[in-house]
Formats: sequence, C-alpha cells, structure tokens
Amino acid sequence: MQIIRTSSRAIAVAILALAFLASTAEAQAQVSAALQELSGEADAAAAVEQHWIWEFFSYAASEFLWVGAWTAVKITALSMAIGLVLGLGLALMRLSRLFVVRAAAWFYIWIVRGTPQLLQLVFIYDALPYIGLKFDSFTTAVIGFALNQAAFSAEIIRGGILSVNKAQSTAATALGMGPVLTLRRIVLPQAMRSILPGVGNDTISMLKLTSIASIIFVNELTFRAQQIVGQNFRFFTVFAAAGLIYLILTSAISIAQSWAEARFDLERERRPRGETLRRMFGFRLNEKPGEDVPAPKPLAVSPADAHVSDDDVFRSLATSAGGIAKRGEPFVVCRNVQKSYGDRVVLNGIDMTVARGEVVVLLGPSGSGKSTFLRTINHLEPVDWGEITVDGRHVGYAPLPGGGLKPTRALAKARADARIGMVFQHFNLFNHLSALENVIEAPIRVFGIAPEAARALGLRLLGEVGLAGHADHLPHRLSGGQQQRVAIARALAISPKLMLFDEPTSALDPELVGEVLQVMRKLASAGMTMIVVTHEIRFAREVADRVVFMDEGVIVEQGPPSEVIDNPSQDRTRRFLRVVERAETAS
Amino acid sequence: MAFKNGILTAVGILAAHLALSGVANAQTCEPAKLSEKYPSLVGKTIKIGADPQTPPYVMRDKSNFENVIGIDADLARATFDCAGLKYEFVLGGWSGLLPAVMAGQIDVMWDNLYYKPARAKTVDFVVYMKAGTGALVPAGNPKKVASIEDFCGKTVAFGLGSVEEQATRKQDEACKAAGKDAVTMMPFQDLAAGMRQLESGRSDILLWDLGFADASVKDAPTKYARAFAIISGLTIGAATANGNADLIKVIHDGLTVLQSKGEQAAIFTRYGVDPSTAIPAEVKLD
Repeated sequence: MQIIRTSSRAIAVAILALAFLASTAEAQAQVSAALQELSGEADAAAAVEQHWIWEFFSYAASEFLWVGAWTAVKITALSMAIGLVLGLGLALMRLSRLFVVRAAAWFYIWIVRGTPQLLQLVFIYDALPYIGLKFDSFTTAVIGFALNQAAFSAEIIRGGILSVNKAQSTAATALGMGPVLTLRRIVLPQAMRSILPGVGNDTISMLKLTSIASIIFVNELTFRAQQIVGQNFRFFTVFAAAGLIYLILTSAISIAQSWAEARFDLERERRPRGETLRRMFGFRLNEKPGEDVPAPKPLAVSPADAHVSDDDVFRSLATSAGGIAKRGEPFVVCRNVQKSYGDRVVLNGIDMTVARGEVVVLLGPSGSGKSTFLRTINHLEPVDWGEITVDGRHVGYAPLPGGGLKPTRALAKARADARIGMVFQHFNLFNHLSALENVIEAPIRVFGIAPEAARALGLRLLGEVGLAGHADHLPHRLSGGQQQRVAIARALAISPKLMLFDEPTSALDPELVGEVLQVMRKLASAGMTMIVVTHEIRFAREVADRVVFMDEGVIVEQGPPSEVIDNPSQDRTRRFLRVVERAETAS
Repeated sequence: MAFKNGILTAVGILAAHLALSGVANAQTCEPAKLSEKYPSLVGKTIKIGADPQTPPYVMRDKSNFENVIGIDADLARATFDCAGLKYEFVLGGWSGLLPAVMAGQIDVMWDNLYYKPARAKTVDFVVYMKAGTGALVPAGNPKKVASIEDFCGKTVAFGLGSVEEQATRKQDEACKAAGKDAVTMMPFQDLAAGMRQLESGRSDILLWDLGFADASVKDAPTKYARAFAIISGLTIGAATANGNADLIKVIHDGLTVLQSKGEQAAIFTRYGVDPSTAIPAEVKLD
C-alpha cells in the first residue's frame, strides 16, 4: 500500500479524490491517472493496478453499497418510529398504578432486552412460519428491530418522564388538564431533554446493527461489503469505504440529534424564526423590505388608566364567573372531611363553609393538614370520608343512590368544570413555556378558547400582575416573585370561581413577598372567593374576612382576624402565633 | 419354441424401448412440459437461498456486483431453466440458510452444503459432488507443507466447528504424542478473516473447502498454492424442506441432464474446480 509521505501530497490526493467523487467517468479516469502519477515511486506492476485511493472512492461511491446503506436507513427509520411509539406505551405501562399492567411491561422488557437480537430475528423469520405467520426479510427486520427498540426506548422514556418534576403535572391537573394532555403538552416536551441523547445513541447503534439481519436475508451495507470482500478479498478498501458510508449516515443522525436537542433546550435564547440566519449573515430569508419586527405594545397607557383597567379585569373575573350562589351565600361547603396516609391521620373531620366573595386564611403549624385540605377542595387529593361541594357541586364525585359518594371517571373534566384556580408554593410554572404560553395553555387546550382571544386575555392578565414586558420570557429568566405572579395570572386565566393559594410566598425571598401579596390584595378587593394557606400574619389581618386555625387535622378555632389573631381563645393558637411573630421580627 | 422366442424378443424390444425412452426423458430438458412432469410446481417461483460470500460456489460477479455467479449459482440456474421453472436468488448469511429452508422462507438451499445423515433428517438432498479440504499456502509453499503430518509447529487457520478443525485437532494430538511442537490453531468465523490470516503471514496454512482452494490458486497463482488436498468422503448437495417430491425430482433430473451433457464439468472448469470431484446426481432423503 502506498504511504503518502508529505502533507502536500496528501492534500493533493484529497482534492483529487473529491474531484473524483464529483466528476464524470471520463474525468474520473484522468483523476485516476493523476493519482497514479502522484504516487511517485509506484513500480510498473502497481501502476497497472488501480491506485488504492481510487479504489477506495470507487467503492465509497458504489451504487451496490449505497443500495445496502439505503436498506439500513429504511429499516432504522421505520423501526425507530414504531419502537418509540411502542416504547412510550411500555413506559406508561411501567408507570401504571395497576400491578398487572406494570408487570406485563416489565416482563416484555425483561425478555426482549435479555435475549440476543440475532435470535429474535431468526425466531420471527424462521419459527413463526410454523404457526402461519410468514414475514418477508425486510418486514421481519423492521418488526424485530422495532420490538427491540420498544424495550430499550421504554426505559429511556420512563427515565425522561421521571426526570420531570411531579409538580409540573400537579399544576397541569389543577388547571383541568387530563392525563393525556398533560403528558403530551407538559411532561413529554420537558422529558425530551433527557430522552433525546439516549434515542440518538440507539439510532446510531441500530443503523450499524442492521448488519446482523443478513442472517434473515437482508442485504444491507455490511453484508454487501462482505460479499465484495468474499469475491475479491480487498478488505481494506472495501471496509474503509463501507466505514465512510456509515460515518456519513451516522453524522446525519448526530446533526439531527443536535438540532432536536437545541429545539427542546430550555436555557436556549428564544429567537424569532430566521433570526439566527440574520445574525449569521446580516439578513433574513423571506424578509420584505421595510418590514420591521413589531415591538410589543405597552399595555398600561397611564397609571390612572391602568388602575381602572386593573380593577375591571379582576372584578369582572370575580363577578362574571357564573354560579348559583350569590355574594355572601355558602359557596364552598365541607362536611366531616377525613383523610389518612396509611396509619397517619391527616384530616380528622373538617367542617367548614366559605361564602361567595369571602377571603379565608388557613393558619397552622407544618403538618397540621392545611395544604392537604386545600388539595381536597379541587380534588387533587381524594377524601377518605365526608364531602365537599363547590358552588353546590361535588368535584369528581357522584352521589350514590343509597347515600355516600363514588369517584367519577372523568375527573379531569370535573376539575375543569369546577373552575378552581390554584397557586402553589413553588409556583410550578411549566418550565418549557414562556410566561404568556403558561397563562394561555389551559384556556386554549382545556376550555377551547380561540388562540387569539386567549393571547389577548393572557397579555391583559400579565399586564395586571405587572409583567407585560416579560410575556415571552421562560420561567427560569424570571425572579421568584415574578414567577409567582405569572402563576396567579395562569390560575386566573381559566376564569376561576374560587382561588386556592397554597403558601404562595413561603418560597420567596423576603423582599419579593410584597409584590405577590399586592396582587392577592387586589384580587381580594375585587371580590374573588379565596382560600389562602399562609404564614403571613399581617396579610391575614389586613385581607382575611375570616381566619381558620388548624392543628393535627382539626380546626382549632376560627373567626375574624381581630379575634383569632389578636385575641385567640385557644392555647395552641397563641403558641403558634408567638412562634410565627418571633420569626417575622427576626427576618 | 419359435413362438416363445418371438414373445421373448418382443418383450425384450419393448423393455429396451421403454428403458431408452425413459433415459431419453431424463436426458433432455423439456421446459415446456413443466405442468406434465412437475404439476405441483406450476406457476411457482423457486427461491434459491445462497450466501454470496462463499466462492467459488456462490459469489458476486466482479464485473457487475448485481450478478450472482459461482458453480452452485450456475448449476441452480441451469437446473431450473431445464425444468422451465422461474426462480430468484434470495441472499443471506450462510448460517441462516438451512433454518430458512425448514421454515419455508426459501425453497432450496444451494450453496456448498455438505450432506450429513443428521441434516438429512430435517431436509432432503440431491448430492452432485465430492467435498474435500484444500490446504492453501502462499505461492511457492515456503514452509514446505506436503501433508497434514507437516502441521507440527505451524500455525493453521480453519473455520470454526468445521471438519478441518477436527482434523487439525487430531493432528495436534499426534504432534504432541510424538514429542513434536504443537499446532497453533487459528479458528475463524468467516473465510475473509481466514484469508487475512494467510495474507498477513499470521497463519502458515489455511484449511478450507477444496473447491475454494483450487479456485483461489487459479485466480491468483502468484499469491497462492495448494499444498495438498484431502478428499473427506463427504458429498455436497442442494437441500429442500422434507416432502417436496417434485422439487427434488426437478433438481435430480436437471443435474442428471447437465452431467450427461458435460455442462456440470464445464461449469466446474470455469471456476477452476476439478471436474473429477463431480459425482452422479443422487437423491438422499433420510
């Protein structure tokens, strides 16, 4: 084999090789001759033989090999697509609450991952005909690789789903989104970041592994290369050429993977379509002269106007939400609500009524059951005993003929119909969506509001909470206080009849608490019915119509703030207030 | 007596006539008579399973990789043309061929398949040539290998699990028993790997099918030489799934015609295989 000694000669060979690939047969002969000349000390015998570089590139450009490569690509693409769909199904089965479903998926994965793929292919091709299932080579390969990929991608996808914080789906559930919608819109897009690298790996492996299908008569790239070698024993040039073809194909897969990863990257700067090109080359494709990117219009025109419109939106939200209960009438009615986690009793018979337009603050030490109680109101948590009605209706329960309740099947719809907005301690904004997208997701997907109308409402609500300029920002670019205000806007966007706040300021830095409380104050004064779990005593004193003090799963005492906070009748309440007030003065 | 003689003569003539017509039937190709001779195969396209990396039996054509050539490929084509059958080659890895015949994915495996009684239980054979082992060495036989006894102290490459492996292991024992150097054994998965062994000088001798060895020497006499050959007594044949009486008949009839016309010998010569390794076509069922 001719060794290229000098770099200049190597470059010349490379250029000639490229020229060879791009040229006609006649030109190729000239290039070949040039290569022979270039090889210098080649003796007469070698000169008669093809130069190895020529041979290498003629194999790399050989239709015979590329037909095999195309077969490998087709098998990989089809199997990967089918395998990912099946894998998603298996992953969800693995996450099922039902043991039988989990076990079935586990068993499948165990068998398929644990046995050699070669044997699986031979089994499908050669054993299934005995029971009347006869597939041709290509179909067998697609089935075999797809079934295998399903098992592997099931675990990759399951890992991806588990990597998404549970709080994301809780927030979606609270907005009335069903499990499928939550999976498709909220969980999977975020899971993609951890799913994609694994899937990219598997795709590349599969493309190369299709060579084992030669056992079932699939004539793909490696097998074809072996056939050439079997005929002329030119191992180096043939296998190097096959290697080059594989490298080209796997490079394409890598590029596709990078593109997909960038697409699902949360930290990436969002640029309008064409912006990247514009930055690179100084112009944008399809740009009409004179057209400019429209700047977002400031929502608040003047402070006075803004104030009027503030009240308008909040007030119209608080009053327009239909319902039978009038202001001051019982709206949320809880009777003897009980709940346990295993042996631990969390709620031990809660009776409470909240009137329409009332603001109730739940106080109590950690573990007193406040948050759990809040989550039973919109049926994020089922109750063990007792009943809760909101605006006269059970949320996700239907009364049984002989008394008692049974859970209904369409729980997500029941939650959506109840129109209960919820704000969480840790905001639970959808990390992959901008502030505006967070706000309009449920209105569009759950309540079927036209996207344009939803956008208008979303921008208005963001304006109300003082974040009009942040509509296009992803949550990670916002401060905690800003995120919580987006979360409030998001909860308001479903036109709630009732707002639940679960320690909305506990995760905030002290200097950010004020901006959130300010929004809540505004909402309360607009007449929204609110149940607020908080440790903000001052807020409770100023805003609450009634304060409820809970401890160990029961209501210890309740009444107007002037009684419960300033003059508590119970010892437990006094102790708790002392601790909280000390903490407040310390911070 | 004259009457009796007359009857005998008549019977004799009739018998001779029948015999002759029978022979004549077997020795001509009658593609037009397919439905008459092999009714169950009418309208069928025979799938011939082969691995095109088994020279000189089945391989790709150097001048056009789309074509499959070799002694088995050429024999198969001639045989099915003779019967007037349509056919196609289904190409796959050699070890997948026999299971595919049994599963009915292909109709016949025709690619350097040794007849073995155990194999004949699952498939039916028509054998047509003797198998042998050729010892391939670099041209000029630098290590002066003349027989298997010369293996002591040498490096020998052979196919994994082959008859050649058995023979080499036996010789290795013999070498050790005689106090000579052991044989260094290099078993390989595919022939190309074995050829690399020989080409790079990592092995002194390559043991493989005799037909291949002869074809290699014919192809590249400046590179390879045949040190010696062992005729193992095994035979090579085409195999179908059990119970394909018509297909077995097609192969047997076709090969018989090709042999009588000297076409089998011509095909063997074309690929550098010794025509004397041919044997009369014979059906082997169990």
